[in-house]
Amino acid sequence: MKFSTTLKALGLTAAVALSPLMASGAQAAGTLTVAVAIDPGSWDPIDTFLVDWSSAANNIYDGLTARGADMKLKPALATSWEFLDNNARIRFKLRQNVKFHNGEPFNAAAVKFTFDRLLGEEGRKGPQQSNYTSIDRVEVVDDTTVDFIMKQADPVLLTKLAGYGAMIVPPKYIQEKGDAHFNMNPVGTGPYKFAEYSPKVSLTLEAFPEHWGGAPKLDKVVTRFISEANTQVAELQSGRIDVATLIPFGLAPTVEKSPNLSLLSITGPTVVSLRLNTKEGITKDLDVRKALIMGIDRDAIIKAVLLGHGKPIASFQADLSFGHDPNLKPLPFDLAKAKQMLQQAKVPAGAPVRIDFRGNDATFREVVQAAAGYLQALGLKPALQPHEPPVLLNDIIPNGKTGEAWHQSWGGWTFDYDNNAYLMYHSGEKWNPYYNDATLNALLEKQRTIYDVKEREKVLQEIARYVADQALEIPLYNQNTIYGVNKRVKSFDAPADRRFRFTETTVE
Amino acid sequence: MAGFILKRLLQAVFVVLAVTLIVSFAIRLSGDPAIMVMGGGNVTEQDLQNIRQALGLNRPFYVQYLSFLQGLFVGDFGKSFMGGTPVSLLISQALPATLLLAFASLLTSIALSVPLGVYAAVNRGRWPDQLIRILSLVGLSFPNFWLAIMLVLLFSIVLGILPPSGMEGPESFIMPALTMAIILTATNMRLVRTSMLETLSQQYIMVARSKGLRDRVVLYKHALRNSAIPLVTYIGLQFGNLIGGIVIVERVFNWPGMGTLAFDAISNRDYPVLQATITVLALFIVFINLMVDVAYGLIDPRIRTE
Repeated sequence: MKFSTTLKALGLTAAVALSPLMASGAQAAGTLTVAVAIDPGSWDPIDTFLVDWSSAANNIYDGLTARGADMKLKPALATSWEFLDNNARIRFKLRQNVKFHNGEPFNAAAVKFTFDRLLGEEGRKGPQQSNYTSIDRVEVVDDTTVDFIMKQADPVLLTKLAGYGAMIVPPKYIQEKGDAHFNMNPVGTGPYKFAEYSPKVSLTLEAFPEHWGGAPKLDKVVTRFISEANTQVAELQSGRIDVATLIPFGLAPTVEKSPNLSLLSITGPTVVSLRLNTKEGITKDLDVRKALIMGIDRDAIIKAVLLGHGKPIASFQADLSFGHDPNLKPLPFDLAKAKQMLQQAKVPAGAPVRIDFRGNDATFREVVQAAAGYLQALGLKPALQPHEPPVLLNDIIPNGKTGEAWHQSWGGWTFDYDNNAYLMYHSGEKWNPYYNDATLNALLEKQRTIYDVKEREKVLQEIARYVADQALEIPLYNQNTIYGVNKRVKSFDAPADRRFRFTETTVE
Repeated sequence: MAGFILKRLLQAVFVVLAVTLIVSFAIRLSGDPAIMVMGGGNVTEQDLQNIRQALGLNRPFYVQYLSFLQGLFVGDFGKSFMGGTPVSLLISQALPATLLLAFASLLTSIALSVPLGVYAAVNRGRWPDQLIRILSLVGLSFPNFWLAIMLVLLFSIVLGILPPSGMEGPESFIMPALTMAIILTATNMRLVRTSMLETLSQQYIMVARSKGLRDRVVLYKHALRNSAIPLVTYIGLQFGNLIGGIVIVERVFNWPGMGTLAFDAISNRDYPVLQATITVLALFIVFINLMVDVAYGLIDPRIRTE
């Protein structure tokens, strides 16, 4: 997007020059205002996959489990759980005396209703059902006990119960008011209750003092929908929002230099790589793939384009991810060696390398231009092909119409390597149009049946090593999650997955 | 006059039909809404099928289009693919926001361009004329998003007196309307000047002057009214362009209007929202053109009698 790059450049220059003069606006005490990019349109947990939904709705709802900013799993609406019948049945003891915002009691029936809805007709119309298909059904044992009957093993289930589609919803309310009403007037058990929703403008939540975890410290949380990053930064600078979630790397220094703002740059879930075509083109050859990895200086790209807000990766996952292996190192940057390897593989000078990428991603556009520069230095002939995301995601990649390489950006909120690896490398998956390897398939299937944490971690690490050995992609970087925060905000626990929970947060 | 209006209304129906058909067809040429709904994550072909079924996308194109038309007649635009919000609700919020902004921009532009244009014409060739013409060239050359950002920097960040985005009080209109107006003014002013110059050279103006009428009366009662016709036509036509240009301005100022709605609908492949937005805008532009024709009659009695 030329428009947006120009905006960024102009905004950056001018904002840096003028930021010391900045005036600060006034904000109501006890009200925290957060800006996110997209209005999900519905606040029903089963209707969306958007992180922006969770940034707000994680305050409205609770799951059986919860995961805080420290990324550790802890009990929430379930106080304990045990695995029975050889892991085919998971029994949850539920928290007592919990009420929904409308006064309706939370109990085993509510859990059953939530999952019947998610796994049934209603859930089929939305994107969340597919994440929970390992559950066969939920059975009520007594008012405070439920059993999850599993269709297949799912070692990531407990994490998945902490968010999105698994958030517990009120049965009576939904049955009486209907789905359309619930979409626009959500009710949960969380620390903040719904107050007002104006589509495409804002969502206002109010404190729910009877929350089982104790009353939240803020009176109100307002979420505003602002899709232009420069506008979010302008709103942040003028003190009208407290937390901005859309800060391009180029604007990070502007926020950093503002006296009333702080920039939080933390490890996030998003990893970016250039996947390689193993079926056609020069990338068919393993040594060529390795040469391409070694020929691109990923550290330099992180420093120059991401301005340091990212980390090199050896496998397609963040270091917070379960399955990350600190001992696995990426292939080093070595232009001479890479050239030599290409020569040995008899790659002719000027061999084409076409890279398909998302054209609306301004940061990646710069990244891929830098990468193309390195490929040129290797004597290859890179061609950059931008696509509109729906075209790239729905046609070019799944139908195997890519060039030698394509842009893959991925960030599963579960922080489990399974979520990335299975979908990227198992044969027949939508995101894996070319590669089919029985050994890798077997490993990927095996880890999905193992509940033993240590054992499963070992298999996941083995997968990452295998993928690195086969050089299925050029692992570029794990990009940071960046927040711009007004200094009047205190006790803000910045979560890596952007699922805010403002129970302890206060504003001055 | 009534027959004329009726005829124009019938034409409008065909214009709107053609526009909706083209838009509905074109948006379906690329991308799949199902994958936008699913987020492109952990999806199987079966999931996509389920979504397409739920959204009614597995029906043939003409069935989908006809059911959209059917909805139009009963005032039901359907539901957004994203979150199932009723489209009529989205439009009922976005349309007033855009219209208010468009009218504010036009009014600002008229208020600026008419006096400046008249002044330039009266002082033809002298320094006020030159200055105004240079300023108008500068105004024409501004890209509107750049202007928007500069205004935000000045008024929101440096001076801290105006909100950088959103539609809240009257103060939030100032920057977006000014952004649109400055660019409109540049062209409108040149038009007023040219039109005035032409009128001022007419014989009836000479007659009016020789009758001993005061300069002010000659200028505003005789000359300006006669020069207004091309201006009214142009402003009417400009409305269409205005709506087009408003997309970018709405985006920069996070204005909850039709431009934002259409922009998001295109990127999400949200067919119902896009079709409805375009239909409403097309209707509106047709309506404005009709109003322009009616306005001619009011300004120029000769047209009324014909």
